[in-house]
Amino acid sequence: MEVDISGAKVFFTIPIDFPLFGKIQISETLVVSWIVMALITGLCIWLTRDLKIRNISKRQAVAEMIVETANKFVIGNMGEKFRYLIPFVSALFATSVVSNLISLIGLRSPTADLSTEAAWAVVVFIMITTQKIKTNGFGGYLKGFTTPIAVMTPFNVLSELATPISMACRHFGNILSGVVINALIYGSLALASGKLLGLLPGVLGRTLSQIPILDVGVPAVLSVYFDWFSGVMQAFIFCMLTVMYIANVAEEG
Amino acid sequence: MQVQELVGIVPWTFIAQICNLFIQMYLIKRFLFKPINEMLEKRRAAADAEITDAEAAKKEANAIKEEYEQNMQEAKAKANEILESARKTATLQSEKIVKEASEQAAALKNKAEKEIAQEKKKAVNEVKGEIGGIAMDIAGKVIEREINEKDHEKLIDEFISNVGEAS
Repeated sequence: MEVDISGAKVFFTIPIDFPLFGKIQISETLVVSWIVMALITGLCIWLTRDLKIRNISKRQAVAEMIVETANKFVIGNMGEKFRYLIPFVSALFATSVVSNLISLIGLRSPTADLSTEAAWAVVVFIMITTQKIKTNGFGGYLKGFTTPIAVMTPFNVLSELATPISMACRHFGNILSGVVINALIYGSLALASGKLLGLLPGVLGRTLSQIPILDVGVPAVLSVYFDWFSGVMQAFIFCMLTVMYIANVAEEG
Repeated sequence: MQVQELVGIVPWTFIAQICNLFIQMYLIKRFLFKPINEMLEKRRAAADAEITDAEAAKKEANAIKEEYEQNMQEAKAKANEILESARKTATLQSEKIVKEASEQAAALKNKAEKEIAQEKKKAVNEVKGEIGGIAMDIAGKVIEREINEKDHEKLIDEFISNVGEAS
């Protein structure tokens, strides 16, 4: 019995070697990301089909509720002037949730790849920094590193860099742990059912022990936490942190 | 099949995911927020229009009510005026009639009085004449002589005028 926990599979490699970046690899992460994007976009289109002003359908009510919730989340936490960030935060949340939950249908979550979270975290980090420079000016931004005293500068730089790293790693760690634990559980339950049924005598035992009967049902219970709860929670935390960091920085000025 | 590292950052995946995030942002904006916000805006506009309409209707109704009330007021005032003038006319007329009547009555009375006075005078004169004649006859018979007619008449006149005053 072998439990294999590996990174994303590479489906296709474009054989042009870019300096520094290497060859372009179309990995499982990317393919599933595209599936996720298609799903979200399809859902959006389906939700907003034949909108009406009166006598709205349930579907439209759901769409309106989503939009209102997104508006309330961003404007409630950041204020009216960050209205332009609503689509970004919504996209972040939607992509994150769907990516986390897509492991339920047997695909590998794009969020189980650190590249994905790193990409998001870097985007958020750039946004935070831009907002900081906007509120304090470039000089004020640089000066901010020397507070309260100049000796603190390296620590300030470190804490600044810690923001995206912690955001990325928190999300990635939670999802990867889900993947790892799921793999372990599937493996161990298959092993356990093989051993248990192997106790039966004769051909019956030999045949039944090949079927991982315990793998049916039991992992579903655990996936309530590791996939559903953790997946939605991490997406929410990531968006909440994005919103909070940017709002905090905007208020400092 | 080739497999990437379990924990590691692949540069192209990293770049692609940044792009994916922004593409996703655009798609969500285009296919969810834009139509829904447009629809909400339309609904708000419709609601606003309805409120404006209702306000206009209310205003109109108020104007009509005011006009009606004013008309009523005017009509009432006019009715009062007509009544007042009628009363005045009636009073005036009745006064006139009474006055005329009293005048007429006075004239009639006057005339009657005059007639009575005339009749009385006439009667007195007649009586005077008769009495004079009788007296003369009596006197003629008593005295049995013809006295001077002229003196006699004078005497009788004095007598009669005394009688008239006494009567």
